[in-house]
Amino acid sequence: MRGRQEAAGRGGGGSQGLAWLFLLPSLAIFGLFIFWPLGRSVYLSMHGSDIFGGAGELVGLDNYRDLLTSAQFGKVLTVTALFTVLSVVPAVLGALAIVILLESRIRGTRFFRTSFALPFAFSAASASVVFAVIYNPAIGIANGVLGQFGVDRVNWLTDPAIALPALCLTTIWINLGYDVLVLSAGVGTIPDEVFEAARLDGATGLALARKITIPLLSPQLFFLVVVSTIHALQSFTQIHILTKGGPDRATTTLVYSIYSEAFAYGSSDFGAASAQAIVLLVIVLAGTALQFRLLERRVHYR
Amino acid sequence: MRTRALILAAVVSLSLTGCGGDDGDAGSTGGVPGRDVLDNAKEKVTIEFWHSMKGANADAINAAVADFSRELGNKIEVKPVYQGNYDDTIGKYKTAVQQKNTPALIQIYDIGTRFMIDSKQTVSVSDFVEKDGASVDDIEPNIASYYSVDGKLRSMPFNSSTPLLYMNKEAFDRAGLDVTKPPRTLEEIAEYAKKLTVKDATGKVVQYGFNAAIYGWLLEQLLATDGKEYCDNGNGRSALATKVQFDDPAAVEVARWWTDLVKGGYAANTGRKTDDAQAAFKTGTVAMHLESTSVLRGYVTAAKGKFTVATAPYPKLRASSSGGPIIGGASLWVNGQGHSALEQRAAWEFIKFVSTPAAQAKWHVGTGYVPVNKKALDEAVTKEWQAKYPQFTTAVDQLHALPPSVASAGCILGVMPQARKAAEDGLEQAIVGSKTPEQAMKDAAASMKAEIDRYNKSVG
Amino acid sequence: MRRLLVYVLLIILAVPVVFPLYYAMVGAVMGQADLTSYPPALVPSEVHLENLRGAFRTVPLGRQYLNSTLQTCVITLAQLLTSILAAYAFAFLPMRARALTFGLFLATLMVPWESIIIPNFLAIASWGLIRGPLTYVGLVLPFLASAFGTFLLRQAFLQFPAELHDAAVLDGAGHGRFLWRILVPLSRPSIAAVGVYVFLSAWNQYFWPLILIRDPQYQTLQIGLSQLNDAEAAEPGLILAGVSLSLLPTLAIVIFGQRYIVRGLTAGALR
Repeated sequence: MRGRQEAAGRGGGGSQGLAWLFLLPSLAIFGLFIFWPLGRSVYLSMHGSDIFGGAGELVGLDNYRDLLTSAQFGKVLTVTALFTVLSVVPAVLGALAIVILLESRIRGTRFFRTSFALPFAFSAASASVVFAVIYNPAIGIANGVLGQFGVDRVNWLTDPAIALPALCLTTIWINLGYDVLVLSAGVGTIPDEVFEAARLDGATGLALARKITIPLLSPQLFFLVVVSTIHALQSFTQIHILTKGGPDRATTTLVYSIYSEAFAYGSSDFGAASAQAIVLLVIVLAGTALQFRLLERRVHYR
Repeated sequence: MRTRALILAAVVSLSLTGCGGDDGDAGSTGGVPGRDVLDNAKEKVTIEFWHSMKGANADAINAAVADFSRELGNKIEVKPVYQGNYDDTIGKYKTAVQQKNTPALIQIYDIGTRFMIDSKQTVSVSDFVEKDGASVDDIEPNIASYYSVDGKLRSMPFNSSTPLLYMNKEAFDRAGLDVTKPPRTLEEIAEYAKKLTVKDATGKVVQYGFNAAIYGWLLEQLLATDGKEYCDNGNGRSALATKVQFDDPAAVEVARWWTDLVKGGYAANTGRKTDDAQAAFKTGTVAMHLESTSVLRGYVTAAKGKFTVATAPYPKLRASSSGGPIIGGASLWVNGQGHSALEQRAAWEFIKFVSTPAAQAKWHVGTGYVPVNKKALDEAVTKEWQAKYPQFTTAVDQLHALPPSVASAGCILGVMPQARKAAEDGLEQAIVGSKTPEQAMKDAAASMKAEIDRYNKSVG
Repeated sequence: MRRLLVYVLLIILAVPVVFPLYYAMVGAVMGQADLTSYPPALVPSEVHLENLRGAFRTVPLGRQYLNSTLQTCVITLAQLLTSILAAYAFAFLPMRARALTFGLFLATLMVPWESIIIPNFLAIASWGLIRGPLTYVGLVLPFLASAFGTFLLRQAFLQFPAELHDAAVLDGAGHGRFLWRILVPLSRPSIAAVGVYVFLSAWNQYFWPLILIRDPQYQTLQIGLSQLNDAEAAEPGLILAGVSLSLLPTLAIVIFGQRYIVRGLTAGALR
């Protein structure tokens, strides 16, 4: 981060003790609820589970071996990857298109801007519940409207080929408001003179977007892609409400798989679930690092 | 009384061969608290009661608790706590066992029976019965047999359901069919479904002939009608079961029948959530529907003014099938571990109360569950209600017609919840066409092997 | 002509974005007949307030509202407090291993909560914080500190001239006085930004309450919505009524507090 110099001398008075006193509450919470559990996750992942889910005997890397050799887990990873890409990319591109359109200096921009930000008022749960009503195969309005165009009933959430896209659509909708807000704020930081100068040079419409808006928004776009990817990898609510991981595991992502192994169907296999949790941790860390390497180079910082 | 007990014992021992000493109980019979514990108590005791009933059924539970407190409220306060569906409840119970804070009284589904025994937390109901010198003669023997393992009634059946075929009478009328002549086999359901599927001018389906949730319980029932045992070792009753048998040709036949109906456009695939499948029937989108008796009350209320709900006995796998469905539902367990004699006694008092004819009659009409106490059928409440809604008698008749057998006693398996889920995986894969019915059911059954082995090993 | 094209495109994009909100609000007051009619009704033929009552009958939305409010407020206030203190230490107080400690804070941002939820659940359960009213404690305890808030506030505090700080503290104002009387009031916009962000994420929590809460008395609103959806699949009006009620606080924040949201959300993006 750019930040100001953090001279050790900053702040003359007080003693070391005060600093640690101030940090203590945060450090205690992090230690108890982040760092220690991290170690416990590793510990649990190397143990079996008794019938109540308590840690059983030491099994070493068996849980990992079982995981990595099972075809089911392969599918889980594929679904996770598909879900991530299909929900992040369209949302970011859609938000970008919206923000560029909003930059066209027309009347009613404020109204449109607020409209596009509205989904942000929805929690993942409330949005998913509304989509559950919309997708309802028997009485949902999605099929009602499509039926008007002669399209036969679509099994939005029970057809394995459609459930994942339908889930992604919901996720895109949930995230769109946030993405629009972030990009709008980014556009707001671009000085008007930059646009004016470009316009004087004759750039309009798409050319303006390509030459000015998109490059200058690249830090925000980069931020959005990283944050949304991490977010998508952790998505749970919409899957739990809409599909419960089905049909035929078509929407069982890594996080949902952890949940089903540890908490659903009366199951409490904390050992196997913890191994998956560690895989999730590794994927999130690796994914973030990779994106920093790949995308950082293309980002245009001012 | 003796003869009754003998019949019950005979039913149970059909599948029982000498099972050794360890009965998995927390306390021995000698330690079971008698009525005196309650009579001598100085203070009121409060116990928690975890259950999985929602909607109309939750109202009925609260009503039963209120009735109980009118009777023994000065001594005992029962606090009913809804814990989510049956799966959630058993999951939460597992955590509670580890944290040593189980509720004194808990409702656990039929398929959790083996697990509850292996958990070694509970006191058998038959120990209380013995202590009180009472009897369980009035409990329907078919129902009691499910919860009797190693010769003891482990828990008190509470909400017993059997599956039914639900029909939309007006849809039948429009198709020129008669609900008093309902389909009796899977094949007949398929025939009826074709006649009951209605398309509009553009060829769009506006009413499906059939639907059911992809719910493992329904498959378990169909196999039982054909006399097939769901898991080996006499449905897990002669020894710990070592494998599930839903790769049997009969199960494949069910999967194929269902798949064909969906593919042909005669059945709606509403997925695995029972709520969604129920919504399709309640809104009149499907004409025939398989579900438990337990939703009957809710259906009757939802359909009021729209259509008439008719019920018929659960279909049999094929015409030659001679079995009947399994008694489903749940039972009440008393937790001994970590609970005082007074709490255990209080839990038992509540169980006794809700098993009385009067309480069961009220429960039956409030929910649609089959009364577990035979005498509940003689109560005025029941008679009045059944005169008004004859649909409620179907389940009771079906129960009485049930020939007791090992197959219809149901599979007792420690990881039965997971097995049911695996069967659902298989059915769903077949129905959505990602595997052939044979392959899907074979893979599903095979996927349980490791889990069963691990469980059996951990309970030794 | 171009202007027209922009309008058309904006409207094409806006309709699907706004529709679910519109449908939730309108569906909440539609009768069952409107909701299940074919062709589908988009405008209610009559206003039907029975849905709201029905939603309350199915799940105790009022109680859940209170629970969510309590949980959210405690988390928000506590996170603000711990973050302010930590940010102050990082920005103004002399300490050894500052970079290392700060790195430790940032490292917590990299750990997905779902990857440590099992041991956290087991720990909270083993301390008995899933029983009775203690559930409230279990619900909020892991979320009482935040590296994100600390990071953002530290940035804000660093804008404050060090000389002024030193002068104030040396003048005998002391750290406490300086922090609460001068720094916090001056940093109000940043604190509001963190507050709004924390409020929204606490209000929207789902996974943790789902696995933690045993007694429906302590259930939060988000889980309540999901239960309502399961229980009333055949009566969409009730579901939408519940959703609409649950939206009121967040909708108010989005419409009136947009400024702060943007500030909080984009803190990491604006360099």
